[in-house]
Formats: sequence, C-alpha cells, structure tokens
Amino acid sequence: MASSLSLRAGLLSVLIFAAFVGAWQWATLPGAGPGGGAVDPEYAALVSGAAAQGAKSAFPTPADVAATLWGHLKDPFYVRGANDQGVGIQLAYSLGRVLVGYLLAAAVAIPLGFLIGMSPLTYKALDPFIQILKPISPLAWMPLALYTIKDSGVSAIFVIFICSLWPMLINTAFGVASVRKEWLNVAATLEVGAFRKAFLVILPAAAPTIMTGMRISIGIAWLVIVAAEMLVGGTGIGYFVWNEWNNLSIGNIITAILLIGLVGMALDLALARAARLVAYRE
Amino acid sequence: MTTFKDPFDARYRLNSRGCSCGQHGSEAEHVQAQASEDARTTRVVEGAVMRALFPHDATRRAFLSAVGAGTAFAAVNALFPLASATEAFAQAAKPEKTDLKVGFIPITCATPIIMAKPMGFYEKQGLNVEVVKTAGWAVIRDKAINKEYDAAHMLSPMPLAISMGVGSNPIPWTMPAVENVNGQAITLAVKHKDKRDPKDWKGMKFAVPFDYSMHNYLLRYYLAEAGIDPDRDVQIRAVPPPEMVANLRADNIDGFLAPDPVNQRAVYDGVGFIHILSKEIWDGHPCCAFSASKQFVTEMPGTYQALLKAIIEATAFAQKAENRKEIAAAIAPTNYLNQPQTVVEQVLTGTYADGLGGVKKDPNRIAFDPFPWESFAVWILTQMKRWGQIKGDVDYAKVANDVFLATDAKRLMAEAGLMPPETTTKTFSVMGKPFDPTKPDEYVASFAIKRS
Amino acid sequence: MTDKPLISIEALARRYPKRGGGETTVFEDLWLPIQKGEFVCLIGHSGCGKTTILNVLAGLDQPSSGSVIVDGREISGPSLDRAVIFQGHSLLPWMTVLGNIALAVSSRRPEWSRETVRAHCQRYVDLVHLSGSEHKKPAELSGGMKQRVGIARALAIEPKMLLMDEPFSALDALTRGSLQEEARRICRETGQTVFMITHDIDEAMLLADRIVLMTNGPQAKIAEIVENPLPRDRLAASMHRHADYYPLRNHLLEFLVTRSKSFASEIEGRPYDPRKPAVVRPRATAEDPLPAAASI
Repeated sequence: MASSLSLRAGLLSVLIFAAFVGAWQWATLPGAGPGGGAVDPEYAALVSGAAAQGAKSAFPTPADVAATLWGHLKDPFYVRGANDQGVGIQLAYSLGRVLVGYLLAAAVAIPLGFLIGMSPLTYKALDPFIQILKPISPLAWMPLALYTIKDSGVSAIFVIFICSLWPMLINTAFGVASVRKEWLNVAATLEVGAFRKAFLVILPAAAPTIMTGMRISIGIAWLVIVAAEMLVGGTGIGYFVWNEWNNLSIGNIITAILLIGLVGMALDLALARAARLVAYRE
Repeated sequence: MTTFKDPFDARYRLNSRGCSCGQHGSEAEHVQAQASEDARTTRVVEGAVMRALFPHDATRRAFLSAVGAGTAFAAVNALFPLASATEAFAQAAKPEKTDLKVGFIPITCATPIIMAKPMGFYEKQGLNVEVVKTAGWAVIRDKAINKEYDAAHMLSPMPLAISMGVGSNPIPWTMPAVENVNGQAITLAVKHKDKRDPKDWKGMKFAVPFDYSMHNYLLRYYLAEAGIDPDRDVQIRAVPPPEMVANLRADNIDGFLAPDPVNQRAVYDGVGFIHILSKEIWDGHPCCAFSASKQFVTEMPGTYQALLKAIIEATAFAQKAENRKEIAAAIAPTNYLNQPQTVVEQVLTGTYADGLGGVKKDPNRIAFDPFPWESFAVWILTQMKRWGQIKGDVDYAKVANDVFLATDAKRLMAEAGLMPPETTTKTFSVMGKPFDPTKPDEYVASFAIKRS
Repeated sequence: MTDKPLISIEALARRYPKRGGGETTVFEDLWLPIQKGEFVCLIGHSGCGKTTILNVLAGLDQPSSGSVIVDGREISGPSLDRAVIFQGHSLLPWMTVLGNIALAVSSRRPEWSRETVRAHCQRYVDLVHLSGSEHKKPAELSGGMKQRVGIARALAIEPKMLLMDEPFSALDALTRGSLQEEARRICRETGQTVFMITHDIDEAMLLADRIVLMTNGPQAKIAEIVENPLPRDRLAASMHRHADYYPLRNHLLEFLVTRSKSFASEIEGRPYDPRKPAVVRPRATAEDPLPAAASI
C-alpha cells in the first residue's frame, strides 16, 4: 500500500512537471507577432530577433533553459577573469559565506540562548531587544555593516550571521526555558552538577527545539545570501544572478534559481537528518 | 574635443619598444628629454600652485602685474614650498604598490577603465590591476571609501558629493580624470512613441542611475526647460542601470535617462526607443569619472600617476573611431559588461537602431576625453544647489579645484603625448543657455524652476 | 519507635500571598517524625498541600516557615540521601533504561568506573524485573515498566529515604496492583524508609505502617495518625479477608468523605496539640486507641 502510494505520488509529480513544462513551452512558442513584415534588414541586424519583428524579446523555452543548464553543469568550475567564473565556483563562494556566518551565529546563539533560557531574569530583560531586532530584514543591516565593518565580504558574512542568529537564539532560549520541570527536578534530586546538568539534561532536552531553530536559520541564511550577493556583488550565486540580470539573460537566471533551490533543499535535508539524531519520543 | 586634435605624437607608439618611459622614440631621445622634463615639471607645479591660489586668471594677472613676477614668486614660495612640491612630483616615478583593485559599474562609460585591463594599458605601466564589477553606485562608493578598491569608476558628481559629505561622511576625494563625455540617452517605453514633446510627460515615472549623477541633473534640466517640474510633475527615482530595462519592460517606469548600454539594450530587446541622446542636451557633458581618495593620491603618488597614465592613454585610444569595434569586442564578454557585442558596438560606433525602426549615425554618441574641466565641477555644483542637494553658500571654485585634479590630468596628458588645453575652465552652453563658471550664483538664480 | 527519628518535620508551614493583600495558609504548624525503616503514607484531598510537603522533604521546595531535620541536620536542598519517585515516571526520554539509572548512580558515586556503575545498575534493573529492556528508550516501555525504571533509579542510589509522590496513580488497576506488591517486597527486603503520598486508601492500607490523615486545605493540619493493624506479611490478594481490614478501611473512608472537611468543628473546644495528633489503631475488636504519647 505504502509503495503504491509513493509510486502514485511519483507519477503525479512527473505529470505535474510535464504539465508545467508543457505550459511553459506553449507560452513561449514563437508567436506570429504583430507582423511588422518588411523590416529594414540593416535595422534587424542591430536588434534581437523579436525586436526586429516589432515585439519584445521572448522568454526562453524549456529547451533553451535546459541547454543553458547543461552548459553550466558541463563546466561548473571555469575561471575567465575575476568577474566571470563557473557556476560551481559561485555556489561554493555562497556556501562558504553561509557556513561561516551560520556557524559563527550558532557559536554565539546557542551558548547565549542557553544562558538566557536558564535565567528568567535575562530572558525578560533581553526579550524587548530580541523582539525589536528579530523582525529587521537582514539586508537592512547591509549599509550599516558596510559602513562600520568597511569590508564587503565580511559584511555579507555579518548579514548571514545576524539573520541566522535570531531563530537559533530564540529557539535555544525557548527550548532551555521550557525543559520540563520534572526533568530538572530529577536532576536536582540526583544532585547532578551544573555542568553535567547542562550537557546531560538540558541540552538533550532542548536539542530538538534548538535544531528546529538551526533549520529555520539555515533556510533564512540561504535565502539572504542570494540577496546580499546581489547587493554587494563580486562573487557568489547572488552575484551570478545579478550579472545575468544585467544581461537580461533569463535562461541563466532560471538555471541559477534551480541550483539555488537544489542547494537550499540539500541544506535543509542535511539539518533534518541532524534533527532526527537528537529527536526523542516521550 | 580640442584635446585630441593631434591625439598621438608621431614618435609615440602604444606598444612602444622605444625608451624606458615609453614617451620617446629611443633611449637616447629619452635622456635628452630628461633635462627639459625636469624644467617642465617645475613649471607645471608652479602653475598649479598659482592656479590654486588664484583660481581666476584675471585676478592672477592683476596680482602679477601689480607686484612683479619675482616678488610674486617669493610671496607664493613663502606660502607654499614649491621646491618640495616639485620634488614630490618628480620623484613619484615608481609605483609603491602594483597589485590594485579598481571597481567599475558595467556600463560603457567605464570603457577606458575596463578595456585597460584586457588591452594591456595597466600592464604597460607595470600595474597588475584587477577590475571588479560592482553592483551599484552606493556599493562602489562604500567599497572605495572602505579601501577595498584603490580607485573606482564613479559618476562625476560623486567625488564632489563625497568630498562635501553629501550622502556620506565627508572624505577628501579626487577625480583625476573624466572617462567619457556624452554617451547617455533618454529612453522611453515603446508605448510612448508618439509623446516626443517633454511637455506631454506630466505624471510619468523616470529612472536615473543615482541621485548624484549627471543623468539626474541632465534629466531635470531637460524637463525643467520644457516647463515640467521634475519634483512635482513627474517621478524620478534612482534605479540601478541593470534593473532599468526590466522595469521598463514591466511598465514600472515610463522611461529613463541612463548610461549606455542600457539604452541600446532596451532597443535591442524591443522594450524602448531612444528619444534623444544626452549630447542633444549638452554636447560634451562629462558623465563618469575615474576617482580615488585624496589619501591614495598623496600616499601613493607613484602608483596613482601610473594608474592615471594608463587610464588617460586608454581614454585616448578609445577616442579614436577606428579602435571602437575592437574595444567593443574586448569589453562585451561576461567578465566585463556581459552584453551582446552588437549592443556595445552600436553604442561605441554611434551607428545604432533607434528602437522605432530607424538606423541612426552619430559618431559622437559617446566620446572619451579625460580632461576634468573644473568648470564641469562648477556646473554640477550649481545643479546640486539648484535641486537642494546642497544648502548654504558654496565655494564653487575651491571645491571644483580640490576635487577635479585638472592640473595632474593636464601634465599626464602632456606626458602621454596628448594636447591638454591651456586652461582648466571653459564656458559652454547647455540647451542653448550659456554657462559662465565664474558666475555660478547668478546661473543658479536664473532658473525659473529650482528648489533653492 | 522511641529512637531518635530519621526524619523530623517540625512546625512546617506554607503560605501564599493572596491577590489583593493578605495571605492564604495552605498548612501550618505541621509536626511529623518518621522512624528508620518505617513506611509512612500521607492521605488527603488535593489542595491540602501534600505534594508541597513531599517537595519540601525532597528539597525541591522551600517552606514558608518551619524545618525538616534529617539525621539531626536541617535540610537545605535536594540530596541523594532522599530519592524521589515522581508521579509521572520522569525518565529522561533520550536515555535508555540503563542510561537513566546510570545518571543517578554516577552522580551518587562519581568515583566509580563505568563498568562498576553499569554492573550496579544492572542489579537494580534485575531487581525490578526489567532484564532484557536495559537498552530500550522510555518511549518503548509500557507505563508500568517506566515506573519500575523510576523505582530502580531511586533505589540504585541507595538513599536513606524514599519519597514517593502518588507513584502508581497513572497506571491501570492491574499494573498498579502488581507494582504495589513489588514495591512492598523491595522495601521490606531492603528495610527502606519510605514517605509516600496517595489518595488511594487500598494502596495506603497495603503499603503503609502508619497512615497520616490530613484535613482539607486551606489551613490543613494533621487530623490523626492511623497505625496499620494488618499483619506485616499482608498481600493485596488476601488482605481484605483479614478481620481488621474493614474497620481500618471504613475509618479511613469516613475520614476522607466527611471528617477531613469537618475536622475543624470536631476539635472545637477540645485541646488540639499539633505536635501530638491523635493516634488510632482501628481493630475489629473494640480496643482503646493507643495513647498518643506512645508514637513519639
């Protein structure tokens, strides 16, 4: 039953994909156009095919995009100058930034969240700050970061840091603060030392909540890096998108979007795996 | 275009196998020239100091005739150590640093900065320059201020704005060379092809690349001349050039005054047509600039001079019509402008599709002239004042002189075998209205539509 | 019964500030000595503060006034000397059966090696008949098995005293019965001192040597102390056939149903010494209650 369900779901997925590609193909079919007819051939040579017909340039067909995608996947690591590098290299730059910013954020948010969660006083005292800082779009920090840090690479990492910080901080604090009283009572009556209590009782108890925060964070970080790199430029998949936008190359942009989605999914899956390791059933 | 009446000295070759400095046909000639070069350096420095002290020729002449040249020299020397200044110039021969980063925005205005890389102009000066594509004007400004870039492509009003602390902290900034003159255009969405009179443009939305840009001032000027108040009758917003065509396509804006290749790209994609070229507003207006911080100029004079020399030579090369196709091929790839080559070629050669089915020819659509006329700076300042970007009294001449390093450009142009103009100011007219750089306040006051 | 008690509750009181000023007194002036090896049950309705008393004994809660003396010293917090079996099983769900017990043992004996801790834990796993489930997580165990782990964990630290907070109330009747029997066996074999809270009369009759009856709160007090007249080797299955069973049961039931509410009027005009509440021993044959002083 289960296998037939997944089989049917798989079939349906393929159907949806086929329908989507079909609709796309149909929508991008080269239409007859307004039929300007006789266009000056000298003029036509200077503009794109669609513009020569008196129309706006066309959206690429699925085949165009597939060809572009294949072109990128065939040679993902080329370097043709500082501003033209393979899509694999760009993804690696973005991933590197995300991981550095994210790990820094985890290194700050988890211990800090722990302290906040353990102490109702700091929880209450810091709450207004967290509540105000949390909803700020991470990109709003970019000008401030550029101004104070004076380095665009570090600024991008800072933006990742700041956007990954809150979900992890809040979830850690919440997870720690809401460790069940009876488990703490067990630890207390067993005279478990503070250190062992933190690592053997509170951390495992809060781990699923912390992991949820980490999973939210990596998702946000990956969303934000693309925007941050579009803003700052230089390297990374966000820069790639920007550079191709510059060239209005929709095929390349769709390719990048696909790759961004795939990497984001991989990151999420990796953390979901990690979350399963620390999950427990009561 | 007086600078390029005789763009290349007969003895000067671009890929010179001649002397060590590259200015002379042979090493012997080089040695011979050395003595006169020293004398010229001294003269250039003295001239620069005198001009700094007496920005207006008339005043200087009056001063000289009143006290006599000798007395004047002594008096000036007491104020400004001419000898050491001369020395500083002469010594600055070897670059202190050869690995440089120069930021650029992917538009054809940056042609000299970009092409100098693939075509070897930096290399010829012994520099290893990485030209870095940058996402927008605010970012290029911040990266330049943060010293991530040693020098950068900017809009010519930006160095003035940075120096005065408009839109950022005041940091002494310099603009040793203009990159291009002309080379912009007003592009409108195809649906407006019958609205060719700006008087019909009320309620339209326009984009310019940046608030502190020639584009903004030219568009405002053009609209105001037609009786359209740019702040009240239309909307003007800053949109990064790469986003302009997409926005025009999506009907978010009705048109823009933008740098190329954006205009030509709109035509190429069939979304817009070129209403007028910016040269029809002001033929010979500056647009983008090569700029560096004052700190870079003073702390690394050798590097700065080598870099400036490369830029000036590239600019001179770019000015020659016969080189334009080659340049288009060099700067169109993904690494630089990332545009179809034909788009860049149409911009540079001036034989272009206008978006309405016609092919136009205007070899002066874009021109390259490095000379940073101080009067350009004064005009920009009058427009900043006119539109309320700067408040209070402005010492036009001083700011212009501090930021637009006309003197350096002049000397280096001479070294590059070019013919720099005699003076650093000139009069010109914008849409038929003459501008006298000595009377900026009267000029601002003469406009009917203004914010100050 | 005349030895110095292992635990002595002295003048214990708990008050809460009332909303809008004043205070609510849950209980006050509570005195109760517990001898070594004794199994004491506290019975009362919810709200009389019995869990608070247990938590104070465990060191998890602070009294508003009064103190608890253990071995001649006032307690100041939780201690491994007083193991607690909680109402819920309170096992750490991310640890195995063995892990849960080992956490307790290694806290008690930090100097022990892993192997020693493990062997020690295994003994207690066997004691509660959980052999074979050592490596299961609590979620894989039934309710009764979980509570057995809780018991094993409490016993494994070899405490001076066991505190049980309605440990079997969440179990179904069958499981509860067998587990009660087992608890009684283990406590008798190990001579464990136990203080247990319950509101189940049969449980108290089966397990306790003395049953402390508390009146309803607020201002709950100890009404009397009932000595269990049933033989020490009683069994749940046969206990009800004993002659003293119904007199005891009726006495307790009557207290819970009516006297716990009306006790205040019962003692009106009569002397009531909170330090020496009445001690009764309900028997089938009419007998005078033992003199109260005898219990001290």
